[in-house]
Amino acid sequence: MSSESSKKRKPKVIRSDGAPAEGKRNRSDPEQEGKYYSEEAEVDLRDPGRDYELYKYTCQELQRLMAEIQDLKSRGGKDAAVEIEDRRILSCVHFMTLKKLNRLAHIRLKKGRDQTHEAKQKVDAYHLQLQNLLYEVMHLQKEITKCLEFKSKHEEIDLVSVEEFYQEAPPDISKAEITMGDPHQQTLARLDWELEQRKRLAEQYRESLSNKEKILKEIEVKKEYLSSLQPRLNSIMQASLPVQEYLFMPFDQAHKQYETARHLPPPLYVLFVQATAYGQACAHMKSSQPPRQDKTLSVAIEGSVDEAKALFKPHEESQDDESDSDAEEEQTTKRRRPTLGVQLDDKRKEMLKRHPLSVMLDLKCKDDSVLHLTFYYLMNLNIMTVKARVTTATELITPISAGDLLSPDSVLSCLYPGDHGKKTPNPANQYQFDKVGILTLRDYVLDLGHPYLWVQKLGGLHFPKEQPQPTVIADHSLSSSHMETTMKLLKTRVQSRLALHKQFASLEHGIVPVTSDCHYLFPAKVVSRLVKWVTIAHEDYVELHFTKDIVEAGLAGDTNLYYMALVERGTAKLQAAVVLNPGYSSIPPIFQLCLNWKGEKTNSNDDNIRAMESEVNVCYKELCGPRPGHQLLTNQLQRLCVLLDVYLETEIHDDSVEGPKEFPQEKMCLRLFRGPSRMKPFKYNHPQGFFSHR
Amino acid sequence: MERAVPPTVPLGQMEVFQALQRLHMTIFSQCFSPCGKFLAAGNNYGQIAIFSLSAALSSEAKEESKKPIVTFQAHDGPVYSMVSTDRHLFSAGDGEVKAWLWAEILKKGCKELWCRQPPYRTSLEVPEINALLLVPKENSLILAGGDCQLHTMDLETGTFTRALRGHTDYIHCLALRDRNPEVLSGGEDGTVRLWDLRMAKEVQTIEVYKHEECSRPHNGRWIGCLATDSDWMVCGGGPALTLWHLRSSTPTTIFPMWAPQKHVTFYQDLILSAGQGPCVNQWQLSGELKAQVPGSSPGLLSLSLNQQPAAPECKVLTAAGNSCRVDVFTNLGYRAFSLSF
Repeated sequence: MSSESSKKRKPKVIRSDGAPAEGKRNRSDPEQEGKYYSEEAEVDLRDPGRDYELYKYTCQELQRLMAEIQDLKSRGGKDAAVEIEDRRILSCVHFMTLKKLNRLAHIRLKKGRDQTHEAKQKVDAYHLQLQNLLYEVMHLQKEITKCLEFKSKHEEIDLVSVEEFYQEAPPDISKAEITMGDPHQQTLARLDWELEQRKRLAEQYRESLSNKEKILKEIEVKKEYLSSLQPRLNSIMQASLPVQEYLFMPFDQAHKQYETARHLPPPLYVLFVQATAYGQACAHMKSSQPPRQDKTLSVAIEGSVDEAKALFKPHEESQDDESDSDAEEEQTTKRRRPTLGVQLDDKRKEMLKRHPLSVMLDLKCKDDSVLHLTFYYLMNLNIMTVKARVTTATELITPISAGDLLSPDSVLSCLYPGDHGKKTPNPANQYQFDKVGILTLRDYVLDLGHPYLWVQKLGGLHFPKEQPQPTVIADHSLSSSHMETTMKLLKTRVQSRLALHKQFASLEHGIVPVTSDCHYLFPAKVVSRLVKWVTIAHEDYVELHFTKDIVEAGLAGDTNLYYMALVERGTAKLQAAVVLNPGYSSIPPIFQLCLNWKGEKTNSNDDNIRAMESEVNVCYKELCGPRPGHQLLTNQLQRLCVLLDVYLETEIHDDSVEGPKEFPQEKMCLRLFRGPSRMKPFKYNHPQGFFSHR
Repeated sequence: MERAVPPTVPLGQMEVFQALQRLHMTIFSQCFSPCGKFLAAGNNYGQIAIFSLSAALSSEAKEESKKPIVTFQAHDGPVYSMVSTDRHLFSAGDGEVKAWLWAEILKKGCKELWCRQPPYRTSLEVPEINALLLVPKENSLILAGGDCQLHTMDLETGTFTRALRGHTDYIHCLALRDRNPEVLSGGEDGTVRLWDLRMAKEVQTIEVYKHEECSRPHNGRWIGCLATDSDWMVCGGGPALTLWHLRSSTPTTIFPMWAPQKHVTFYQDLILSAGQGPCVNQWQLSGELKAQVPGSSPGLLSLSLNQQPAAPECKVLTAAGNSCRVDVFTNLGYRAFSLSF
């Protein structure tokens, strides 16, 4: 059997090696299947488990056979060879079976590999597909977030609030039943409403514009009509002028003045209005006199109106320019250093520039003397200044000592206490001055006029010291409240100065003029005589040895006027240094005495000289004479003469000196001395004519 | 140096007038309060100012405390003299003497307690009262002045009990002797008279100007000041300041001071005097000038020593005269400060 199977197997191997193409024919031809043996098909039919059993069995058989052969061989014998031969054939058959099994195993391995490969390819394809799908998912997710992040323009629009929207919007837009629950629909509806409203407003705007156009046109027409009216009115006015003149009604003149007044700067305007008003009020009070001729106060405007207009027009521009020009100026100063001085000069001039218009006040006093006041306005400093001039009805002979009395520089000094008019009243000015290198306004007052405080008040300007204000505005009420007192003070000042002027003329000739209504103050016989009356400088006064007290008490300011009087009787010479306050005669002149007689006697070494000083200085009120007291100075001087008489006549006679008394006692005195300081009887009792102690 | 006049510049009419009034003020009289802490000063305008010495002397004294705590118008004319008892302040001026209660004054209620006028004979001019003198032993006040008499007023009843006549011109000053009830008076007539109060008559007359050593005819005869201590008397005025021995009525020391003296007083072993010129003079009894301490007034009229045991911290010398300031000397060496009207 084993040989059979080995025969069968051989051709099969040869054929399959030799002609592989025949296999197809073999399979497709089922008749040949029985003839051709296909091992591959056989593999499918056979069970691998049984093959394994077969393999095990075959191997065991072979081992047994081998062992039997070996056994036989070792025993040796004759029949052994036959036995061996049988056994050899059997084992060959088993070998053949093993070979077959081996082939089958190979074929099976090959088949298994093919199957695995196929399966692997399938898995790969699926994996690729999965990755594609994942990518797609990711992309879609991105798109979704992009959509979610989208911002709509409508969020920037300011919408009316929800409540308002439901109140105001018509139901066809608001659609409350839909939009109430749905915020999206609600927003849409609100946007609709907004659009509607905006459309309406735009419509309204267009209407207003056209209205405006219409009104402008109307105004144009009316303006044309008015301008055509002006020449006609002018001609009527022109025609009425002769009538006005004839009827003596200065309407036109006043009108012109008011026209000019419009160009005045505010403070001068306030002054002009208030002064005119005051002048008219005064004229009304004295209505018995014909108006206009005898006005005590007349007001006029001087200066060029055109210049003022020119000044006014580019005013707004120039303000803007200033800042620019400042910068420019800085540049130019850098460029042109040598001309710095000239530039500063120009700047100073610019700063001290006054308004081209000025207001003239003419104040007429009873004796027909006139005080001319010219008020100026310093535009850049915002202060007012005044220049004064006094004219008299009759020509005055000017005494030497009266030089300063009516000088424009000093005639109005200290009209109110302490108002010297030398410093600027505007505290802001100091900083302006620092910029251009002006030390004080004092150096310029002669040229510009004096910036007295009362001038500022008449112009309605007030510069409070405690709270500096950025802008000072001219105030009518301030001006009107100061007008009357100031005008009265001005009049009193001029009158007292004129009175002094007259008195000085006779004082210089050694005559003390005592008016008849003051005779009762003095005894009939006064022996001491005034021999000298001269003006002295402030510095000289301060240096006098007997004026120390007055200087220390601060009563000898440099605004006062200073005089030296010399009263003589025999060998006695009484020097009197006089301080004349500008506020004379309400503030009395102050006398300091020095008697040269038997040594030098002043208030520090002689109580009676001190008493004489206090007689004229402190008890001056009884010497004022009739109001307004212009006789005070002369009465004081006359009193000084009387006092010297009393002093000399009551001086005790030194018994040891030979000869008669130089000054026999002529005055009637009750007692010669009194009190601890041995006062002399300086008080004159009028009707009886005797002297007593105060 | 301290400037008593503030350097404010007077401007208006009122301020100028006030400045002039201050400038021409004369303080005639001063008097310490019984407690020693206050000083009353009377001026030529009839005002009395009360200064608080304790405030001015305290360590935290300001300018303000050198001003009067109260000023009141006491007389129409000048206040020539003031004296003080335990309760009262007496001030005298033109012809009348007024009494004030210290307690009221310090409460600033300044109403006079009473006002008396000595019996005068003349009518045309009311004689002034230059000097007041308290006589504690008989509780009376002696007034002397323009009518050349010493009037004694009983403080109990307020009546004028006697008048001592003898001076031929007005009386400047009075001084009381310690032991005997005797009063010295000096006057314009150049005499110092010694009066016995019990007998009410003049016991001694010294005509100072007749002694050649001290007479100075160019200054006049008048005796402006006198002070006494036991048997010694110092007086001055027109004649030179002289120390007299009363019993022998001879001048023992002539003090070499040219200017007429207006006030003199004994102080320990010194004699203090003041008059024309700004200085307070301190003399040894031998006639030697110990010191001259300048004050702030050009001329002095009165000196006052505060020796009240109640206020030892206020023990000062004050000097006043031809100015509105009262100089205060805490020791005799220099002027500490000035009180000012």
